Amino acid sequence: MRKGSSEQSTTHVSPKLEGFEIKGRPLTGLGLLIASVVGTFAVLIYFGAWAVSDRMEKRVAATESSVAQIEAKWWEDSLLTVCPLH
Amino acid sequence: MRNPALWLDKTFALQEHTITHYAWVIVGIAAVVQMVGAAIRMVFGVLVEPLAETFNWSLGSIGIAYALMSIITAVSSPPAGYLSNRFGAKRTMTAGTVLFFIGMMWTAQVQQIWELYAAYGIIFGIAQATLLVPVVPAVASWFRRHLGLGTGLMLGSWSLGPAIAVQVMAVLFENIGWSESFMVTGIVGTAILLSILLFFKDTPEQAGRVAYGARSSDKPLITSGNIFVEFQSEFQGFVYKTNAFWNLINIHFLGCVGHAVILVGIIPLAMSKGLGPVNAAGVLTTISIVSIVTRFIAPVLSERYGSKIIMFFSFFGQGIGVFLLFTASSTWEFYLFAVVWAIPYGGEGTVFPVINRQYYGHSPMGANYGWQLLGAGLGMALGGLLPGLIFDITGGYAWAIALSAVFSLAGAAAILFLDPTNRQLIPDWPEVESDHVTTGTSSISNGGD
Repeated sequence: MRKGSSEQSTTHVSPKLEGFEIKGRPLTGLGLLIASVVGTFAVLIYFGAWAVSDRMEKRVAATESSVAQIEAKWWEDSLLTVCPLH
Repeated sequence: MRNPALWLDKTFALQEHTITHYAWVIVGIAAVVQMVGAAIRMVFGVLVEPLAETFNWSLGSIGIAYALMSIITAVSSPPAGYLSNRFGAKRTMTAGTVLFFIGMMWTAQVQQIWELYAAYGIIFGIAQATLLVPVVPAVASWFRRHLGLGTGLMLGSWSLGPAIAVQVMAVLFENIGWSESFMVTGIVGTAILLSILLFFKDTPEQAGRVAYGARSSDKPLITSGNIFVEFQSEFQGFVYKTNAFWNLINIHFLGCVGHAVILVGIIPLAMSKGLGPVNAAGVLTTISIVSIVTRFIAPVLSERYGSKIIMFFSFFGQGIGVFLLFTASSTWEFYLFAVVWAIPYGGEGTVFPVINRQYYGHSPMGANYGWQLLGAGLGMALGGLLPGLIFDITGGYAWAIALSAVFSLAGAAAILFLDPTNRQLIPDWPEVESDHVTTGTSSISNGGD
């Protein structure tokens, strides 16, 4: 950034923004971005829940107890609750 | 063709090119900054084992530092872009160099795991953003035309930095130890960065020169003063209202997930199919080398034929190419994959400066590029996480490969929703009216260089 450049402001060509407007909101762009975020969370939840059920099955096998007797951590419970497929 | 030389001259506008323009000095400096910035990420690989041996830290707890650095770099990118627009690329990169030095010295001295998180995760994360984000928009400002050529040459060097840094660090680790290696490379790297930044100028107007590709009818762009700041705010307000702004963040995110899965997972995948460590590493090296070509070519072609079509084929090729991995089991099949896939992969990320120019003209690119690198950074972090997570669950990489394809092809689909690149989405950045404008310390002339 330069100091002492105030003379540029007096000689500039006025931008062609006068009268320029963008009507509407960027719904397509935002919609696609939100769809990607939702899709990514869905992937993470699905594989996260898969990993949790895998871990719990291994714990069941190791302790020779049932799934109901296994004490799940809060994040394991959360992932299994959120994922409709596990 | 009666005169091939004339045809070449006309087709590629050779009469507009020169190698004696200061823009090439800027491209050279930018390439070195890019190499250092990119190397920060890659030297972590050689740091893991010494830290685990010295402090008995688990690989998982050390890996958190890398994940933290990736996320901090991503979220620091928009602020770095804003700082670059507001205070200039040189100042922002100088601040990044200071942070790089602090990060190197602190990493060399770490005794506790929280220090590693602070030094490598946070300090390096911010340093990487403040070095990598401003440099591309600054180079863009030096090219009134032929931006694809400038950014292509600069981004082509991206792969070299990590390759050189990893080798140098590995040799230094062997000879003087990991802590001393970080101190030596920190001092040398900082000295190199500060020296070359002395020759860096944010804009041609600041250097009293004209931009590369400027014609006699072009007037200098407004690059300083209060009016510059006001225009930025006004223009950026319109940029946020365009679909392309949001979609480009999304597209960069999807593309980076797609290739990060492969870049992180290809060595373990190849080894799981029976390749030795050297051969498996060679697959990744092949990808790095072949991609240099398309990193350079893609922006040049984008400028000529439109960014949208080049981006689409890059993403589509990146998505389709990974299907070769489903059946690859021998060494030659993995190397075939490396060559075939690296071509579209190389072109995936380097088109963004050109498409920004095609949509938003000569307005300062820092903020837009910073937001796009936020998407890219989060994509790289997620893509790096997926192969390991999926292998732990399924005992294989098939799902990871499939997800890589899904993310890349989703990016290709999102590109179809972009506006055509043959017209700007907002009016072009204003020019200075008179040819000779006194700016306090020098005179800007719109004549030849």
